[in-house]
Amino acid sequence: MAAIIRSRPIRQFRQIFQDPVLAVALIAVSLFVFIAVILPILAMVSTGFSAEGLPLFQNYLQNPIYQTIITNTVVLGLTVGIIGTGLGFLFAYVQVKVKAPFKRFMHLIALVPIISPPFALASAAILTFGRNGMITKGIFGVRCFWGQGRSCNDIYGLDGLTMVLALSLFTVAYLNLKGMMLALDPAMEEAATNLGASKWRTFRTVTIPMLLPGILSSFLLLFVEAIADLGNPLVLGGNFEVLATRIYVTIIGLYDTNAAAVLSVVLLVPSLTVFIIQRYWVNRQSVVSVTGKPTGTPQQITHPLVRWPLVALVLAICLLIIILYATIFVGSFVKVLGVNNEFTIDHFDFVINGYGSEAMTDTTLLSIISTPLAGILGMIIAFLVVRKAFLGRGLLDFSTMLGIAVPGTILGIGYLLVFNNDIQLVLPFGGENAPVITLIPKLTGGRAIFGGAMAIVIVYMVRSIPAALRSGVAALSQIDPAIEEASISLGADNALTFRKITLPLIRPAFLSGLIYAFARSMTTISAIVFLTTPQTKIMTAQILNEVENGRFGNAFAYCVILILIVLVAIGILYLTVGSTTGAERTLEGGA
Amino acid sequence: MAAANKANSGSLWLEKISKVFPARGGSGEVTAVNAVDLTIQQGEFLTLLGPSGCGKTTTLRLIAGFEMPSSGHILLDGKDITNQPPNKRDMAMVFQSYALFPHMTVFDNIAYGLHIRKLSRSEIKEKVANTLDLMGLQDLGARRPNELSGGQQQRVALARSLVMEPRVLLFDEPLSNLDAKLRVQMRSEIHALQRRLSITSVYVTHDQVEAMALSDRIVVMNKGQIEQIGTPDEIYRRPISRFVADFIGRANFLEARAEAVMNNQATVTLLGQTMTISAAGNPKTGDTLVAVLRPEALKLRVDPQLQPALVEQAMYLGSEIEYRVRVGQGILTVVENDPRASHIFREGETVGIDTIPEAVHLLPA
Repeated sequence: MAAIIRSRPIRQFRQIFQDPVLAVALIAVSLFVFIAVILPILAMVSTGFSAEGLPLFQNYLQNPIYQTIITNTVVLGLTVGIIGTGLGFLFAYVQVKVKAPFKRFMHLIALVPIISPPFALASAAILTFGRNGMITKGIFGVRCFWGQGRSCNDIYGLDGLTMVLALSLFTVAYLNLKGMMLALDPAMEEAATNLGASKWRTFRTVTIPMLLPGILSSFLLLFVEAIADLGNPLVLGGNFEVLATRIYVTIIGLYDTNAAAVLSVVLLVPSLTVFIIQRYWVNRQSVVSVTGKPTGTPQQITHPLVRWPLVALVLAICLLIIILYATIFVGSFVKVLGVNNEFTIDHFDFVINGYGSEAMTDTTLLSIISTPLAGILGMIIAFLVVRKAFLGRGLLDFSTMLGIAVPGTILGIGYLLVFNNDIQLVLPFGGENAPVITLIPKLTGGRAIFGGAMAIVIVYMVRSIPAALRSGVAALSQIDPAIEEASISLGADNALTFRKITLPLIRPAFLSGLIYAFARSMTTISAIVFLTTPQTKIMTAQILNEVENGRFGNAFAYCVILILIVLVAIGILYLTVGSTTGAERTLEGGA
Repeated sequence: MAAANKANSGSLWLEKISKVFPARGGSGEVTAVNAVDLTIQQGEFLTLLGPSGCGKTTTLRLIAGFEMPSSGHILLDGKDITNQPPNKRDMAMVFQSYALFPHMTVFDNIAYGLHIRKLSRSEIKEKVANTLDLMGLQDLGARRPNELSGGQQQRVALARSLVMEPRVLLFDEPLSNLDAKLRVQMRSEIHALQRRLSITSVYVTHDQVEAMALSDRIVVMNKGQIEQIGTPDEIYRRPISRFVADFIGRANFLEARAEAVMNNQATVTLLGQTMTISAAGNPKTGDTLVAVLRPEALKLRVDPQLQPALVEQAMYLGSEIEYRVRVGQGILTVVENDPRASHIFREGETVGIDTIPEAVHLLPA
């Protein structure tokens, strides 16, 4: 007994629990992560492996239809991963290493897809590059872009999906790789040049290998996002079916949670594998010290034969992005884009004053509720993970990250399985009339608490905390722990130190966490599509409804309003939270 | 400063204090501090000195409360504070990186701890102003830390601790981020300030010159244990082990046989000279001993009576000339710092080597 009390984990917890605020924080976040992330996933997995689920596995894995679906999913992940990472690399390389005009413009355009409401790009792609697309049919006079004749290869299917997904997702790869390229010590490349290597050889033998971990991690990230995506395959898939859409149909069309759980387990395997590879292997391979101060200005490529083709390619992609977003914008103001281009504000009337207004206010309100909670929780978890030693620290980080690593559809099904009834504790006395305590009330489905709004807020949080956590961890690791120790040494307790010192210092990370959380909440579809109720309408689900019925004008009006709300929110967050603290000058500038 | 009203407090007692860390990379444990017993008098300036990894910083962090000891007790003025959290200990720490709050002005940095003590606004203003004066920072109160030079940042860090009038001041290598000239200047400022305010101070450094310049007593640590405690003079002149002799200053080591021993004085023959000198560790006649010869204990001159030495390297350093000479099989370092010695021996020259017996110390082998 004495040995147990003196063991290290117990001592660490004793140290944490000496500070009641710290103890409460640790217990609260652990409980939240367990209930909101772990429990639904576990429920989903255990349903998949239940007596009803197990036979289905064999069934699905041997059925050629499902084999095709699984193959499709993996192929989509691979193509989007490769092309999206390629796009990100191209943009980052031109931005950092090439002497190019319009850099600011390219950078801004690359950031635009961060706010892409689901279906927006897919619908725009259909209207521009589809069978009756304004560009394919209107400009080129063709119904299909290529492969005319025998097999008409139009926008629907793998190629269109890959294009739209790569464009929607490449920003992550771009930002990731740009950061790494900037952190890359130019002295390395100078050393290679100095030893006699040509530019191409330097690129091949120094630059690329140094960036490889970043390239790999971007690829894996995009792979996971692509196989988890529901909105785009639903609209653009055509006959190209993937697991996420099949799961959706299984729930919405067949109400078969067992089958959906089994398919979810199948989808979970590649998602989790990639997440674990990314977390425990790729990140260890990093040879670029991101914290290091750059020692010089990178040499930029000026050779015209390298420079201009790269610039042209980037500009062409920028143009593509602009066309798609312009389609959304224009499409929201005309009757039927491409067919009847008469100006109208009917679509906006529908969204703002009509049927859509409820969804608009509900979605915004729920996002406003979840955003600060997600931001604060992310920072608290980051603080605990970076600064405090306790048993299960890695597990807390891992479990929190699962919130985004797991495809949204899977999380949604997990919520249906766990929270569709009150979770009650029957006290072990009183026999027949034993008192019952409701631990967690019914969160989803009909007659759920707050009309299901609570479940949606929790899902919003679960999906946004991981990003806040990562930016918080990154920011905290840059801050000398001695600064917090100084505060404690001057008499402040942990809570005061967190409020007065830590939080102000990681304010930029906090801000980006908040912005991400809001944008993510407003645009998420896969995780909440099963959770909306008649009382709680969500914009993204409404957009899906409009797109499925071919009312693109209404869908675009939703998208434009959604984008506006997000932009306004970002503006407000900048004004209230502030982007600079005066601290990052010392932290980033070093001197 | 009002530290005077606490003049009779600030004595620290570390009782068999140990700290065990889990080894980096999983299994096993590392004992960073191993059963250290140490008493620090009130008003004393005590330095923990040792190579990196010797446990000196861990010991300081144990005193501050940032680490919890695996066993042992810490007493402040007779009261057991082992389990007291760091923010409740009446101590203030000056950090190696200064750890100034980058988002606050100099004034707010210094006022931070006073706010926590819930002092009135006017009191805070007065105390901070006094401290700014004391540290020569009068005009810098409104600046941000990143607008200060390294030396000024160091002063602010010191001011932020001093304003708390703590019973114990803790220093974690506070000068190691300054350039050489500033370091010497701040060293003398800390020295003067501490003597004036007589606040008990525990100072960690790996710089032996700093340790000797500042300390009343030095604790030389090695592998988590105390190797020797003593005044700077004792540590330098009468090290009790080869480790201490080697770590403090530079030393040549020569083996010698104790030809006779009396009153802890041993008679030995070194470099052809027989001398009777102080010896540590109660040697007996016939024992093999190690002689510690500081570079300044050796003199080179052309004298055929002396043991011959071949100059292998001669480096002119301005205030002194450093030679590496070969005597028999071994290489010795000799420093000539007599300004009257205008002659520099050339590399390849053979000269005679002489020893100053008063500057030689004997250790057990």
